[in-house]
Amino acid sequence: MVFSSISFLYYFLPVVFLLYFALPKRSGNGVLLLASLVFYGYGEPRYLLLMGISILTAWALGLIVPRSRAAFFLSVGISLGFLVWFKYADFFVESFATATGIPVEPLKIGLPIGISFYTFQILSYTIDLYRGKIKPQANPLRFATYVALFPQLIAGPIVVYASVEQQLDPCRRQRSVAAVYEGARRFIIGLAKKALLANGLGEFTALLGTMGAEEGSVLFYWIRIISFAMQIYFDFSGYSDMAIGLGRMLGFSFPENFNYPYIAGSITEFWRRWHMTLGGWFREYVYIPLGGNRVSATRWVLNLFVVWGLTGLWHGAAWNFVVWGLFHGFLLMMEKLWLLRLLEKAPSWLSHLYVLFSILIGLTFFQADSLGDALENLGVMFGFGGLGADAGAGAARVPITSPMTWYYLKSYGVLFLVGIIGCLPWAKRLYDRIAVWTSDHESIVMGKVMELVELFALVGLLLLVTAYLVDGSYNPFLYFRF
Amino acid sequence: MKPWTKGKLSVLVLVFFALAASCWLSPSKETSDSERRALAQWPELSAETVLDGTFMDEFETYAQDQFPGREKFRSLKALAEYGIFFKKDQHDIYVKDGYAAQILYPLNENSVKNAAERFRTVYETYLEKSESKGRIFAAVIPDKGYFMAEKYGYPALDYDRLAELLKEDMDYATHINLTDTLALEDYYRTDSHWRQEQIYKVAGVLGEAMGLERAGKSEMEAVIGLTDFRGVYYGQSALPLAGEALVWLTNDVIENCQAYNFETNETTGVYQTEKLEAKDPYDVFLGGAAALITVENPTAQAEGNHRELILFRDSFGSSLAPLLLEDYGTVTLVDLRYVQAAYLEQLIDFHGQDVLFLYGAAMLNDSFTLK
Repeated sequence: MVFSSISFLYYFLPVVFLLYFALPKRSGNGVLLLASLVFYGYGEPRYLLLMGISILTAWALGLIVPRSRAAFFLSVGISLGFLVWFKYADFFVESFATATGIPVEPLKIGLPIGISFYTFQILSYTIDLYRGKIKPQANPLRFATYVALFPQLIAGPIVVYASVEQQLDPCRRQRSVAAVYEGARRFIIGLAKKALLANGLGEFTALLGTMGAEEGSVLFYWIRIISFAMQIYFDFSGYSDMAIGLGRMLGFSFPENFNYPYIAGSITEFWRRWHMTLGGWFREYVYIPLGGNRVSATRWVLNLFVVWGLTGLWHGAAWNFVVWGLFHGFLLMMEKLWLLRLLEKAPSWLSHLYVLFSILIGLTFFQADSLGDALENLGVMFGFGGLGADAGAGAARVPITSPMTWYYLKSYGVLFLVGIIGCLPWAKRLYDRIAVWTSDHESIVMGKVMELVELFALVGLLLLVTAYLVDGSYNPFLYFRF
Repeated sequence: MKPWTKGKLSVLVLVFFALAASCWLSPSKETSDSERRALAQWPELSAETVLDGTFMDEFETYAQDQFPGREKFRSLKALAEYGIFFKKDQHDIYVKDGYAAQILYPLNENSVKNAAERFRTVYETYLEKSESKGRIFAAVIPDKGYFMAEKYGYPALDYDRLAELLKEDMDYATHINLTDTLALEDYYRTDSHWRQEQIYKVAGVLGEAMGLERAGKSEMEAVIGLTDFRGVYYGQSALPLAGEALVWLTNDVIENCQAYNFETNETTGVYQTEKLEAKDPYDVFLGGAAALITVENPTAQAEGNHRELILFRDSFGSSLAPLLLEDYGTVTLVDLRYVQAAYLEQLIDFHGQDVLFLYGAAMLNDSFTLK
């Protein structure tokens, strides 16, 4: 089930809210766990058992992890084993077959939704237990609620156990009108980001598959990757907003996951603003245990590439994702060595240009179906390649522009503009300034106007999103494949 | 907590639960009038359908299809697309000067060639050795985009190339150009089809090329069937477009004609007024889509006119055929989307009839339904 669907919004969610708020507080975890299992089972009934086994083994072994090294390795092994088997088995098989030329049939194992997210949550719990940072959760219901909690189950944010440990006690979980309203506001904004912006941009990104090969152009390929960059941002940050908002309504406080990443002045800063919980997880559980940067230069470079290779692989079991990750690792290494100092002295427009250009090049690998496709798309973007399967030596070069490129630019121009503005913190800053002004001037009228505008905007967005969902077709989130 | 937070939350909760309650409580609808299709119904709930995921897949469609006030919400989305995002089209439909048209682009040469191949099969199997040779005609009906696309900056189909391809592959036919005869006003505002009361002149052009005496010349009476006709683009665009009159032309000769539908075994008049109440009122013309219809003209036959026409056509032919009836004793309408060319010899005696291939550009550009 996805958040941006009629089934979730108007069938699943109202029932969950009614049960959660109508029943006594102590039933909260039971309601949430049941709801989470229905939520997960709705999309992947086959893999409920797998998630159940993962949760049960991690919980049971977790009880003895603090005093048993073997239990720790067994727990980590089981969690990672499931992840590797279900997500990467065919990747390894196909890579082996390609490298050796030995024909090996792929295993065709389905990818359980959200396995990367809930595995990482389980791993953080087990590792933190082993490190003595937290105590074992004796109540299996609470542990299962932590892992399977539907707001963040399938697309994050990745919530570290320590950060929600107290909130897992239903009687200590705070419920308030203000929190529910803030959560609802955040949820609706996230929903609008997904349904109005990400899906619209996704339509543009998918156009290449439907338009004639002769209609493509260098300009179209560039706009397409820019559109994809905005699409993936609104898709994923919208989902995070919804997850955080839902959590807030239910009494949880989930970590922020995005902070206007496209305004970053360096790739280092970009990764402090993009998918922050994943970056934090890799830093805490992979990079630092490997020694981080407190090692020799050679080892540090190795650590960096291990972390970013794994980050790429986490996003998808394909070499183009690995290349994307390593590309970012390379940029981070260069920045650490000398580029960051140069960027600090450079005009800000130049550093922003460098960041956006690098991100777009990276996303060309991220978006493609394969490494070959990515290279072909890059070739077209730089005017070297042809289009389609018959492209290659002797094939006609792709034109700089085409009539269809201009048509689509006109048709999607306002959406792009709204998207660009949405990637910037202007609206938030304006909102904050008005709020500060209202407070400073003790303007009751202005305050009431602001409240009313906000309410109408939220109701309007909810109705508009509903209209888009009613008219649209089933629309899974991009991050489902992770 | 801000002073109005409770009030604002109450409004949000009210709106949210009102929408949710209406989803749960509204009765299911069978069909969508604007989209002219059956709506998804409550899916079968069983262990098997849950485990294999079909229940969930079908429930998603059900939830969307049965959403209360669905048409209003679809309109809201369409208005937002045009009014907020300034999209140039909605589901490939655009509206300019009150006319809704579909983007027909790019030219699918493979499709045009496929259509031409299907026509050639008919020619080589039935017509080449018959006396029809030399009496075979072909005409393409431009879609509304021919008159609108370029003018309003939308992707425009290459009609010259389309005509060239057909001429190359249909060298056995006399090609009749209709583009100069038609204008945008000759089409319904909200439908893909042409208006019969406006294509009298088309009948005249065809009649002149085919050597007919009465087509486009005899007197006709215009009958208004509907005053609020909304065509296929109305539903697809989901925009609040105004309805318009649906008119047909008739006279005593046409009124005396009898149309026999081979699929339903029914004999009816040329205009089937009961179809005005159906999902697509355009079906008033010869009952709509049908594999094979034979129209007998007793008036012409009584006058000794036994000339016959075989009209290979799509839906545009239904409204044009009545305007050619007066010159023929029998007109046979064949829709190759619903009957294979190979079976035609069992249904039609090819003995030197006039033959007209009359197809809309949209069909030629997506011809893989031709059998």
